[in-house]
Amino acid sequence: MPLRLVYKAQTSVPVEVEGLVPSFVREQSLAETERFEIFHGNEKLPLAEFFSVSGSPGDERIDFEGNLAGVHWIGAGMSEGVVHVAGDAGRHVGSEMTGGEIHVSGNAGDWVGGEMHGGLIHVRGRAGHLVGSAYRGSARGMTGGTILIGGEVGNEIGHTMRRGLLAVGGGCGDFVGLNMIAGTIFVFGPCGIRPGAGMRRGTIGLFGSTPPKLLPTFRPGSRDKPLVLQLLFRQLRKLDFPLDDALVNAEYRMYHGDMVATGRGELLLPERAT
Amino acid sequence: MPSSRFKISGGTLYDPVHGIDGQVRDLWIQDGKIVAAPTDPQVRADKTLDAAGMVVMPGGIDMHCHIAGPKVNVARKMRPEEKRLAPKVLRTATTHGGTMGSVPSTFATGYKYAGMGYTTAFDAAIPPLAARHVHEEFDDTPCIDKGFYVLVGNNHYIMRAIQEQEPERLKAFLGWLLSSAKGYAPKMVNPGGVEVWKQRQGGNVSNLDSVVEHFNVTPRQIIRSVAQAAEELKLPHRVHIHANNLGLPGNWTTTLETMQALEGHGGHLTHIQFHSYGGGAGDEDTFNSKAVQLAEYVNSHPNITIDVGQVMFGHTTSMTGDGPLGYYLSNIYKSKWFSSDTEMEAGCGIAPIEYKNKSLIHSLQWAIGLEWYLLVEDPWRVVMSTDHPNGGSFLAYPQIVRLLMDRTWRNDVLKTVSPLVRKRSALANLDREYSLYEICIITRSGPARILGLKNKGHLGPGADADITIYTPHDNKETMFELPRYVIKSGEVIVELGEVRDPVRGKTLHVAPDYDHGVEADIAQWFEKYYSIRFRNYPVTEDYMRQHETIACGG
Repeated sequence: MPLRLVYKAQTSVPVEVEGLVPSFVREQSLAETERFEIFHGNEKLPLAEFFSVSGSPGDERIDFEGNLAGVHWIGAGMSEGVVHVAGDAGRHVGSEMTGGEIHVSGNAGDWVGGEMHGGLIHVRGRAGHLVGSAYRGSARGMTGGTILIGGEVGNEIGHTMRRGLLAVGGGCGDFVGLNMIAGTIFVFGPCGIRPGAGMRRGTIGLFGSTPPKLLPTFRPGSRDKPLVLQLLFRQLRKLDFPLDDALVNAEYRMYHGDMVATGRGELLLPERAT
Repeated sequence: MPSSRFKISGGTLYDPVHGIDGQVRDLWIQDGKIVAAPTDPQVRADKTLDAAGMVVMPGGIDMHCHIAGPKVNVARKMRPEEKRLAPKVLRTATTHGGTMGSVPSTFATGYKYAGMGYTTAFDAAIPPLAARHVHEEFDDTPCIDKGFYVLVGNNHYIMRAIQEQEPERLKAFLGWLLSSAKGYAPKMVNPGGVEVWKQRQGGNVSNLDSVVEHFNVTPRQIIRSVAQAAEELKLPHRVHIHANNLGLPGNWTTTLETMQALEGHGGHLTHIQFHSYGGGAGDEDTFNSKAVQLAEYVNSHPNITIDVGQVMFGHTTSMTGDGPLGYYLSNIYKSKWFSSDTEMEAGCGIAPIEYKNKSLIHSLQWAIGLEWYLLVEDPWRVVMSTDHPNGGSFLAYPQIVRLLMDRTWRNDVLKTVSPLVRKRSALANLDREYSLYEICIITRSGPARILGLKNKGHLGPGADADITIYTPHDNKETMFELPRYVIKSGEVIVELGEVRDPVRGKTLHVAPDYDHGVEADIAQWFEKYYSIRFRNYPVTEDYMRQHETIACGG
């Protein structure tokens, strides 16, 4: 039986639940969890002022319910266990997490999986900017784990990403994979301008129906059916991420870049009949 | 209804202005000021703080730091990597969050100064064009009183007035400029040299008699003329001088000439450590300390005061109004570099740097700073500073206190730096240890006197009730880094480093008398050359929420 947290507050002031992760609540009684202090703007207040707390914390699973679009840092820093959000979530979902799973049935704000190191985040709806990215000043973004976003995302996803898989079912904004060091990003919808700008290594698959305009610092390479795509698509399907069969069987054109950096990154675009 | 009385009872007071050296006394506070003890023994305090066994001093005063304005903001933005790794300053119910690193954010700056027992700080290099911005940042820098020095050493109007031999116009302009900016004192940074740097690539002056092209003036003329004008305006802090050739081997002769160029006028030479180097120009192998020679001159010339600009080992960010210096440093460290040209007024250079204890140059810089503290005989004329953040963070002050008060520890640290330091500086031979009384002078009473702040730096009636209470400890770094209580304007704002109830703090500025007839000429100058209209330039008093005009005339 999970720990059930039903959001009951009505406030326009940001609420931050940093530290409320399965490995922590496991050691707390319900009463202690209710007294756990969270930020409401610049005030620290007990969790019970914002959430109805019930269930059992021992199962290492937290179920959030309600409209949590204004609740930030859900699952940030978690290392194990499972978090479910039935509805929307705010910014920094799963920030710097090292393990465990987070499932959001609705939409999420910016910085989903910011500097994530391991585990799984699956947002069924949309997400904001900077998914899996480095926080300002950091040398690396996401360094491991998997982030799946069912809908659209904003700009600069995978900024300085180092390792891991980031898959987006919808479209993405500008600068996907900006300064990417390594890792894999798939975008199944349209993408904004300057994909892969400054990327050093890594792979970005841009699978939308309209081919994006690439920077002139990317050079066309081989046409192929990369085996690695087959493997990764299979993994995505296992994680309940919907895929078009046509993509599974398509051929892809590889582009090498970004030549302003090391030029060892790859952009993969499906070859389409003209 | 009478205002409440606050008594600090039984503390061991250090108040060098009144010759009090560790005497147990009570302090009475009313309306944010220290007041005389009531003569009627029946009078009771409304609130009493028991300071028995604790050391009570006036709040610390940092008379030379960089905490506000465009250069500080650029440095903050330039180093996100430093801020990402630094400990966070978390918000509380009464305080804002902030960031640290070598250039803390505005609120964090105020909290950290107060947490360390400092209650007043002066930014040392503000182009007057940026004064409005500085006042806005000061408004976001709580807990401390603040002021700033106005950059004048490369101001075109001033150099033109010198060129045209119009000292009265220069004096009037200086008075107008300080009043308009709501600044505190004139600051000269590499006088003339920054202008040459702005005129041509790699340009600078090389000595006090180098000619600044176009204006046909020399650094010597600028220093002498501005010092003369400041004296005639009777400014509380006459002139604050960052001499030419900062950081260059052999620059000590320039520093000596700068002191001589004052010709007896009062002057403060800042971060003197950076200006005390022997050796051949451009030849780092002969780099050595000339603190002994320069300190002899300071000891025999009471018109001169100094602050040290102590270097502490570690990463920091150099920010200076000395544009060519910023370029020089960025070339040494191969680091990021920012340079700016503030219209008719000033320049600026910013670069991340690191002081390493295994580096001979850096070790010598560290040692020369300590030599200065130990060689100047009169503690009233030497002030503790790191030129924050140039030599290190202001948060290093407690460590410097320990270095000065604990000879054994100082020698232990000396053993960890480059061994050549023992040959090239006199530090190993200096046995002096500071007393708490002397520390109180170089961190509070001395800077207050040098700045002409009659209500600060002492614990007598009429003084601002800015007070720091320490728990005595054998390790003076421990004692000074975490005061038990900090009181600002009569309110307890810090307990054991935690900010309880931040007060805003006020802005300290001057309003000297000057010949207002000069304004017509300045207005024409503005309309011709500036990007801002004359009437929009001055900062009015209502722009500052809390301020105090410090009287001229001393």
